[in-house]
Amino acid sequence: MSNFAQEFVDAGWEQKCSQPLRKDDQMNKKSIGKLFGYFQSAEGSAYIFLLPSIILLLMFNIIPLLMAFGLSFFDVPMTLDSAKFIGIENFRDAFSDSRFINSLKVTAIFTAIEVPVQVFGAMIVAAFIAKNDLKNKFFRAIYFLPVICSATAIGIMWKMILHSNVGFFTYALSTMGLGRINFFNDVHLTIFTVAFISIWRSFGISAIIYVTAIQNVNSSLYEAAKMDGAGSLMQFLNVTVPSIRPTFWFILMTRFAGSLQIFDIVFMTTNGGPNYTTESTVTYVYSRAFSSGSQMGYASTLSVILFVVIMIVTVIMNKRMNAEE
Amino acid sequence: MIRSKSIKKTILGIPVFIVLTILALMVIVPLLWLILSAFKNEKEILSYPPTFIPKGLTLTNFAATAKRIKIITYIKNSVIYAGVTTFLAVIVNSMAGYAYARKKFKGKGAFFLITLATMMVPFQVIMVPLFLVVYKLGMYNNYLGLIIPRIAVAGSIFMMRAAFANLPVELEDAARIDGLSEFGIFWRIMLPQVKSSVICLTILSINGSWNDLLWPMIVASDTHMRTLANGLALFVGQNSIQYGASFAGALISLLPMLVLYILGQKYFVEGMASSGLKS
Repeated sequence: MSNFAQEFVDAGWEQKCSQPLRKDDQMNKKSIGKLFGYFQSAEGSAYIFLLPSIILLLMFNIIPLLMAFGLSFFDVPMTLDSAKFIGIENFRDAFSDSRFINSLKVTAIFTAIEVPVQVFGAMIVAAFIAKNDLKNKFFRAIYFLPVICSATAIGIMWKMILHSNVGFFTYALSTMGLGRINFFNDVHLTIFTVAFISIWRSFGISAIIYVTAIQNVNSSLYEAAKMDGAGSLMQFLNVTVPSIRPTFWFILMTRFAGSLQIFDIVFMTTNGGPNYTTESTVTYVYSRAFSSGSQMGYASTLSVILFVVIMIVTVIMNKRMNAEE
Repeated sequence: MIRSKSIKKTILGIPVFIVLTILALMVIVPLLWLILSAFKNEKEILSYPPTFIPKGLTLTNFAATAKRIKIITYIKNSVIYAGVTTFLAVIVNSMAGYAYARKKFKGKGAFFLITLATMMVPFQVIMVPLFLVVYKLGMYNNYLGLIIPRIAVAGSIFMMRAAFANLPVELEDAARIDGLSEFGIFWRIMLPQVKSSVICLTILSINGSWNDLLWPMIVASDTHMRTLANGLALFVGQNSIQYGASFAGALISLLPMLVLYILGQKYFVEGMASSGLKS
C-alpha cells in the first residue's frame, strides 16, 4: 500500500492531479488562518473584545435614537402593522397639545425646585460631613440609604406617610395645629410633594460626590488660608468652592438632565394628578405610547422634543463651564 | 486664644449637628416606619391617630401579598433579571473597557465616539423605539427582551476602562511571553487585578436592575413576566389597594438591597461617585 503510494507520488501523479484544488485550498486556509490569527493578535483581538458591546449599543441605543427621529414623522400604531408618513404634523400637533405644553411646564417647575437643592444644598451638607470621623461616616451612610431603595418602595412609603387621613406625618402636623394637609391632592401643593420625594431619594448621591471632591482638595490650600487668618466660612468660600468647580458643573448638568426626565416617583405617587399638575413630560410620553391609544409616532415626536431640550441645556452649560476654565 | 477658638467651634458645631441629625431622621424615620408598618395589621394601619410602634406584630400582610399577587414569580423574575443582566454586563463592559484602555487598533476613535454618544442619550428618550425594536425581534414579554438591551452600558465601560488603564504594562507582556492567548491575558491576568471595580460594577448593576421600574413596565407587562418593582407598582396602582400587603411587598423589595448595602457600602459609594449617576 505504502509502496503504491510512494510510486504514485514519485510519478508526480498526485501533484498533477490535485494541484489546482490544493492550491486553492491552501490559499483559503491561509487567508482564513491569517484572519483568525489576526483576531488572536494583540491588536486584532481588540475587535473581538469590543464586538458584543458595540453590537448591543448600536441595536439598543443608536438605532432606537435614529428611529425616534424617524418615527416622529410617522403615524404608527402599537402593532406596527402600518406606518403612515405624515411629515411634520406630529410636531405641529405637539406644540398645540395643551397637555404636552403643560407637561413641559411641570417638568420645568420640577427642575427649578430640585436642581438648586441638589446642587447647593448637597454642597453645603457635604462640606460639613467631609471630614473622615466616625460621626460623619455615620451621617454619610444614612444619607446614602434612599439611593439604594426602589422608587416603588419609596412611593408606597411616602404615599402612606403623607396620606391625607391616616398618614403619620400628616397626623404629626395636625397635632401642631396645621390641620390635615392634603399632600397628594392639591393642585398647588402636590408638585412640591413629588419634588420633595424625588430630592429625598437622590440627595445622597449628590452629597457623596461632593464629599469625594472635597476630600480631594489639596490640604495645603487650607493651611495657607488658615495662615492668612481665614475662618471656616472663608475657607469654604475661598478654597473649597473654587476647588470643586468641576464637580459642581458635573452635578449641575447631570441633575438638570435627570430632573428633565423625571418619571418613577411621579408614576408611583400621583401618576400626573391632580388635574395633570404633576404630569411630567416623560410621564405623558409613557401614557401616550403605552397606555392610551398607543401612538408610537406621536410619542416619539414628544421624546425627540424633550431630547432637543436636554441637548440644548447641556450644550449651553458645557460652553459656560469651558469658558470658565 | 486657642480656647476661645475651640469654644467658638463647638458653639457653631451644635446647630450644624442638629441640622445634620434632623436630615438623618428625615431619612431614617420614614424607612423605619415602613419596616414596622409591614408587621401591623390592616386595621392598625388605617387607625387614627396613626401608630409608629406596632401594637402587635403579625405576618398576615406577607400572606396577603402572596395571595393578592404572584409575589414568588415576581421575586424569581427580579432575581433572573438582576442576576443574568449583571453577569453579562460585567463580562461585556469589562471586555470593552479593557480594549479601550489597553489596545491600539484602527477605528478606535470611531468606536469610542459611538460608545460615548450613547451616554448622552437618556433612556427615557429612546424608550418608545426601543420597545418597537424589542417587539419586532420577538423579545416582548420574555427574559431576552428584558435583559439583552440592558447589558451594554457606556458608563460601566468607562468605569472599567479607567480601572484597566492604571495597570502596569509589564503584567501584560509577561503573560504574553508565557504564551497566554489574548483572552486568557484579559480573563486570567488583567481582570483579577481590577477586582474592586468589578465588585462596584456588580453591586451597581444588581441594584439598578432590581430597582428598575420603567423598562420592566414597558417590556414585561404580562403577570408571569413582571418583576418585583413593576409588579408591586401595578398592584399599588389598582384602586382596591391593600395597604398592609403593599408594605410587605415594599419591605421584600427593600431587604435584599439593604443587605447588599450593609455588606458593600464602600463599593456602592465608590461606584456611584466614579461612574457618575443614574436618573
